[in-house]
Amino acid sequence: MTEMSAGVAELKRRLPHRHPMLLLDRVVRVEPGARLIARKAVTCNEPWYERLADDAAERDHDYPVVLLVESCCQAAGLLATWDAPVPDARGDRVMLFGGISGVRFTGRVRPGDVVEHQVRQTRSFADTVIFEGRSTVGDETVMEIEQLVIAFRPGAGLATATPATADRARGGRTT
Amino acid sequence: MSRVCTPVAGRIEHGTAPDGTTRVSMTVGPEEPVFPGHYPGFPIFPGVCVIEFLHRGALATVPEPDRAWALSGIESARFMNPVLPGDTLTAELTWRRDGAGGRCSASVTGPRGTIARIALRFEDEGAR
Repeated sequence: MTEMSAGVAELKRRLPHRHPMLLLDRVVRVEPGARLIARKAVTCNEPWYERLADDAAERDHDYPVVLLVESCCQAAGLLATWDAPVPDARGDRVMLFGGISGVRFTGRVRPGDVVEHQVRQTRSFADTVIFEGRSTVGDETVMEIEQLVIAFRPGAGLATATPATADRARGGRTT
Repeated sequence: MSRVCTPVAGRIEHGTAPDGTTRVSMTVGPEEPVFPGHYPGFPIFPGVCVIEFLHRGALATVPEPDRAWALSGIESARFMNPVLPGDTLTAELTWRRDGAGGRCSASVTGPRGTIARIALRFEDEGAR
């Protein structure tokens, strides 16, 4: 596995996610088609902490577990596209989060922690890539993922939503 | 101000139908904090935020509210359709005791049909 240090500038060339949803800070190792290790530093400056009451307990500052999942998915997305990045969510080929299973949250993550995601590609089909993942803070495992599915579609995949939006704009529906 | 650190800002409504079914719903407003970065100029409500909608809805409707419950895992989540600003999400929850913990499953639906099928696992952390 190649040791490296790809920072945020490189991540932005490889992923369409931006602040506050670019949930990785650095890639430290990569073996294209096989494995990748990336880090995410958690800080109380993230917007999810903004609405938390000033007298909230330490425990209430646990990092939202679904964002740990998203952060690990981004590591998998980087590995899935290492040799052919898909940095534009509106391009002619888009990357989708197809599904996930067997996720266990085994430790808390709080501001000040650095989470390290290790993702491994387990299977690959024509338009679907499957990963497993393990996330740690220091020596502690905080999350395990048995199966994470990333799917690739033509640009029309994400754009299927567009006609419904247009219908709404024409007054077909208000919400 | 809130007691909960969460990426989902919208208010989650919940209620029980006359037949005993528990329903939760939420309208995904354009001001959700995730949208500026997911994605710039092309807002799509992230799949993990659909999971968070069910997580929060499940905690609001726990079968034994005198006990403290915490999300301990995601058994499965499959995504079928995207969620866009303005969409209203609804889900009928099925809660069941499962040994020392609990399991909550649901199909989440929106204006373009089924959004996702999700099953969550909760840990019973004891009496409140």
